[in-house]
Amino acid sequence: MRLVRSPVAQFLVIGLLTFLAILWMTRVLSARAAEAEAVAEARAITEVMAHSVAEPEITAALVRGEAGAIDRFDRAVLAQLLARDVRRIKIWNEEGRVVYSNETEQIGQVFELEEDQLAVLREGGISADLSELDRPENELDQTDAGLVEVYTRIRAPDDEPLLFEAYYAADKLKLRTTEIFEPFSRITALGLLLLLAIATPLLWVTNTRLKRVAAEREKLLLSAVRASEAERRRIARDLHDGVVQDLAGTAFAISGIARSTTTTPVARKVLNDATKSLRDGLRALRSLLVEIHPPGLNAESLASALEDLTAPAANQGVTAAVVVRNMAPASDAVVALTWRVAQEAVRNALRHANPTTISVTVECNDNVVSLHVTDDGIGMPTSLPHDGRVRFGLQGLSTLVTEAGGTLEVEQPRAGGTTIVMRIAA
Amino acid sequence: MKFRAAMAGAVLIGIVAPALASTPALAKDGEVIREGSCTGASDWKVKAKPDDGRLEVEGEVDSNRVGQTWNWRIKHNGTISANGTAKTKAPSGSFSVERRMSNLSGTDTFIFRAKNPATGEICKGTVSI
Repeated sequence: MRLVRSPVAQFLVIGLLTFLAILWMTRVLSARAAEAEAVAEARAITEVMAHSVAEPEITAALVRGEAGAIDRFDRAVLAQLLARDVRRIKIWNEEGRVVYSNETEQIGQVFELEEDQLAVLREGGISADLSELDRPENELDQTDAGLVEVYTRIRAPDDEPLLFEAYYAADKLKLRTTEIFEPFSRITALGLLLLLAIATPLLWVTNTRLKRVAAEREKLLLSAVRASEAERRRIARDLHDGVVQDLAGTAFAISGIARSTTTTPVARKVLNDATKSLRDGLRALRSLLVEIHPPGLNAESLASALEDLTAPAANQGVTAAVVVRNMAPASDAVVALTWRVAQEAVRNALRHANPTTISVTVECNDNVVSLHVTDDGIGMPTSLPHDGRVRFGLQGLSTLVTEAGGTLEVEQPRAGGTTIVMRIAA
Repeated sequence: MKFRAAMAGAVLIGIVAPALASTPALAKDGEVIREGSCTGASDWKVKAKPDDGRLEVEGEVDSNRVGQTWNWRIKHNGTISANGTAKTKAPSGSFSVERRMSNLSGTDTFIFRAKNPATGEICKGTVSI
């Protein structure tokens, strides 16, 4: 899973898939181009053979079908005409009579010429086509690989047009196609592999740098969270040991004076109001202290600290439930971390999720502490971080939890809402 | 006059025809051989055999005299396919020529003719395959 998330692995997978796709496309396009090139080469060879080899040797006697002229033509040109990949040569006149064929028994036979053959015979030019092997003139050329016929016009000494036809074995053309295509295929494949080979280490270096920067950033964040935690703890301690004690003492003293028999009723009322005001202030201050950092937080006091934490939910009409089970094995540090995560999760739910219920469940099983903070609100993306507030809250806590060897996850039940789950060794 | 001419013709045929007559000889698979005597003291032989889609035709004259020059030609179905000049060679005092011919549909007939311009002797053999 971690490998799949690695940008380098992703790049390699996408790169290889792209490489295969490009290779396939190159193969298809190159094969087409190479096939066209092979046919073009066959046409060029046919032109040369027709006009430079056959045409100069054609005599009127050959066109008349005289056996002696056929022999002389055959001896003069056959070896040159059947060079390269040429399998069959035929020369036709306009009536469809075979004036010459290297399969000499066909000479003199008459076959019906096709329209495109007649067109070349009458108008000139050159044409290439796949041979129809079921035609009578091709009965001697039965082959599984097929034939490609290329034909062009030549002229007899008396200017009579003749059709010069060369037959190439299709498998030989395919082989030629492969010969043309292979170098391009290798060049393309090597080029793409080279690109991948160069890009992968570059990406790996960049990714490593980014990871290092991210790690440094997380460290800074962690330091900030720890500093903040220490500061909160100091402020909470100072308030608890200083202002809270002073205010409690003052409220106690004023209350005592108010109860004195020497105090006038008017003064007593003023003093009682002052005492009530001081006690309200003290309560508010204690709640604030709990929110900043619960004093003396440990496994035993965690339940009450979490009750205090969720108490403000009632003011928003949210029903909160806290369950703490078997937390005795948990260390103070784990308890503090659990409380901090619960605090952030509850705070996020109340501020952003608009829930009707929140439940906080903490338990320790098999020496693993698990915390579930579940709300039935509007939910949030499962990936951390979320928005700016949550980013600095949950992401910072996630770093803290990870550093402590635990995990922090966001789950989104199908029924809706959000569950923040922390698991850490007790 | 007419009677004399007829008699002369009959005598000439009686002398020349046996000399040009051919006799079949033993041949290998598919090979056809004809041989006979020329108008002089020489003998001729003509062979024809199929060879890789073609017909190989060989004409031979044996005069028992070394260094004679002969003009020769081979006709294929009545038209000249090949011709040339050859000399009889030692030790047999013979020459032979060989050509590859088209194997056309139907029967192919080859006529080998050689003439010694010095003596006027003519050899002529026919082979069909």
